[in-house]
Amino acid sequence: MLDYVYTGWGAFWVTMFMFVPFALMAYWVIRRKSLVDTGPTQLQPGEFAPIEGVWLTFAFIFFVVANLASLKFIPWAAASGATDGEAEVQVDFTAKSWSYDISNRQIEAGKPVRFSGRASDTQHGFAVYHPDGRVLFTMLMMPGTAKPTSVVYTFKDPGKYAVRCLEYCGVAHHRMQDELTVVKAN
Amino acid sequence: MSIATTLVKSTPIFGKMFAVDKSTGLEEINAWPALMIMSSFVWLVVAGLLGLVMPATQIFDLSSDHFYTTLTLHGAALTFPFSFQLMMGVGLHRSGGCVGKAITGWLPALAWLSMNLGGAILTVAVLMGLKVSVVVMFPLPLVGAQMGVWSMESVIVGFTGIYLVLSCMILWYPLLVLKMMFFGKKRPELVLSERSLNEPGMLGMLLAAATLLLTGLPLVVVGTTLLLALYKILPMSLAAWAADPVVFQYTFYLFAHNLMEAMALMVASAMYATLPLYLADGSRKLYSEKLANLALWILLVTSVTSGLHHFITFYPNQPAALSYWGNIMSWGTGMGAAISVFTVLATIWQHGLKPEPGIIAVLVGWALYILDGASAIVTSNIAWTYQLHGTMWQSGHFMTVILAMSMMWMGVLYHHYPVLTGRRLDPALGNRYVRMMTVGSFGAAITMLAGGAAGMPRRFADWHPEGWMLYGNLILFFGLILGASFAVYFYNLMKSREISSPMGELATA
Ligand code: HEM
Repeated sequence: MLDYVYTGWGAFWVTMFMFVPFALMAYWVIRRKSLVDTGPTQLQPGEFAPIEGVWLTFAFIFFVVANLASLKFIPWAAASGATDGEAEVQVDFTAKSWSYDISNRQIEAGKPVRFSGRASDTQHGFAVYHPDGRVLFTMLMMPGTAKPTSVVYTFKDPGKYAVRCLEYCGVAHHRMQDELTVVKAN
Repeated sequence: MSIATTLVKSTPIFGKMFAVDKSTGLEEINAWPALMIMSSFVWLVVAGLLGLVMPATQIFDLSSDHFYTTLTLHGAALTFPFSFQLMMGVGLHRSGGCVGKAITGWLPALAWLSMNLGGAILTVAVLMGLKVSVVVMFPLPLVGAQMGVWSMESVIVGFTGIYLVLSCMILWYPLLVLKMMFFGKKRPELVLSERSLNEPGMLGMLLAAATLLLTGLPLVVVGTTLLLALYKILPMSLAAWAADPVVFQYTFYLFAHNLMEAMALMVASAMYATLPLYLADGSRKLYSEKLANLALWILLVTSVTSGLHHFITFYPNQPAALSYWGNIMSWGTGMGAAISVFTVLATIWQHGLKPEPGIIAVLVGWALYILDGASAIVTSNIAWTYQLHGTMWQSGHFMTVILAMSMMWMGVLYHHYPVLTGRRLDPALGNRYVRMMTVGSFGAAITMLAGGAAGMPRRFADWHPEGWMLYGNLILFFGLILGASFAVYFYNLMKSREISSPMGELATA
């Protein structure tokens, strides 16, 4: 369940979960109080207080829970659990307009891979797409940084994974693409 | 007659929509805001059409160069000379009438000139080949020139334009607001609806001006240094620190992020000021002014540092602690929004609402803003941003926030229009505009978010892989509806009638 919420379309549905009930409520209140029953309500100001309390408490709890539950899905936090003693495979890359120089394009499924990258001219991205079209993770690189940008990710499914630059980098930005191949573990 | 009045009068087509009313003795409040609002709509027409060109380049497989030229012009023109200038015009008109001070002298002239001249110069640079998107993507302008993709001249021209636009937003406009609030004598004949600084309507204006000034000053320093170096007044060695990509990006986003928040503060305050005027029982009271002010303060305090969420995927160059902070602060702004949701709905529930097109446009724009806010906090969460950063989700978020605020200001303008021009608008056309804009803007917003969730990249001149063209076609469809809604809005402005003349024939038009 959490996997679904924090990957792929999860972000979209969570946004809709916040928006749709609000939109229905707002529509109902505005329609009712401007067309159906426009008079002042019988509720005294004090009687609004409990509703206000419940609403704000609900919003607060939802915000806290949504963020706490996401911790496990942060690539750098996930790394600490996923690697659990297992050695990381290192993949280094350099991004320059408009291609990548990648140290290793063939990766074994199930092994934690540390991607470390730099940009040599301007800002670039390094986004890895699952064969089903989802973005698994993206990285932002700026030239001249002391450390490379870095992420740890463990691939589950063998297949061809597209790599795309998602930081606009000039007139051939859309052609800045590459590919990784994930193979079954030996 | 004020220069602004003359400029409005001599502008073809748009001048007719905003011809300033001088009969009421309010020209000193009306003239510059009318010119600013009119100019903003000229930009909307041009840049809105460019929005439609983007999907068209994909459908008809035109050169990617056209896509990137259009993208840069569309984003820049709609964010600054349209949206910001519209806000500046309506906002100044509102504060002028609330504090009873004239909007005259060199500051409004400088604000108008720097915004429009800057926008025009930037447009020339883009047409010269500089395609750097609205957010500049520094050091891309310099790298592009080194690679021979565009000329160094276009970079110098472009930076000059951007610098002028920034000077309007960071210096001239905030200084003008502060001057009006704290200096000069109140003139009773200019007071339309007196308000104090304790009221949410005025507090938001003040907080927004202070935010623009304070968070923008570092960018003024960086920008001035770079511009002096580009003009060879300062040796490059002395400007190297400002040309460091990390320094530039953090300074840029400290301002750019807070610019959005400042505009949100302004529009929230405008709604808090306008909603009470349309309550059915005539009580003119918000559910709770204290709660409304609290929402503004929460928004202000949380937003200043929430912009760190722009760099989460830069880890470990941006340390994890700063990313967590940006994540938490961004969701903090959500608490401000939750409070404002309650305040607005409770106010309407308590007092009833007169459903005039202006206030309904404000409320629909506000609902769009809540959708945008939800999408924004989701993409500020560290786990989600790793999948959404750089996708169409973020273009959707950016376009929606600008669109939502513009829609709210266009609604508030319904309220100001009779004072500005001495004419009134047709409610039937107003309602038609609201309905069309609702469909167009929510449709475009949700489509762009869905595209992002499906992995469609932003600022990417190839929508064909992975079935993204579906979202592209829908963006065009909803974009056309949006464009038609603006046409209805302008038609209403064109057909507006003297306040004394009957509206009957228009109502059935
Ligand atoms: C007329 C219909 C419109 C259409 C079809 C349209 C289309 C688009 C598209 C396709 C993008 C995304 C480009 C990309 O990232 O690849 C975009 C971005 C954007 N749009 Fe629109 N748009 C329209 C109207 C508007 C309006 C009215 C506003 C402002 C009030 C606006 C403001 C923006 C902004 C600020 C961006 C972000 C630019 C960037 O991130 O570089 N658009 N628009």
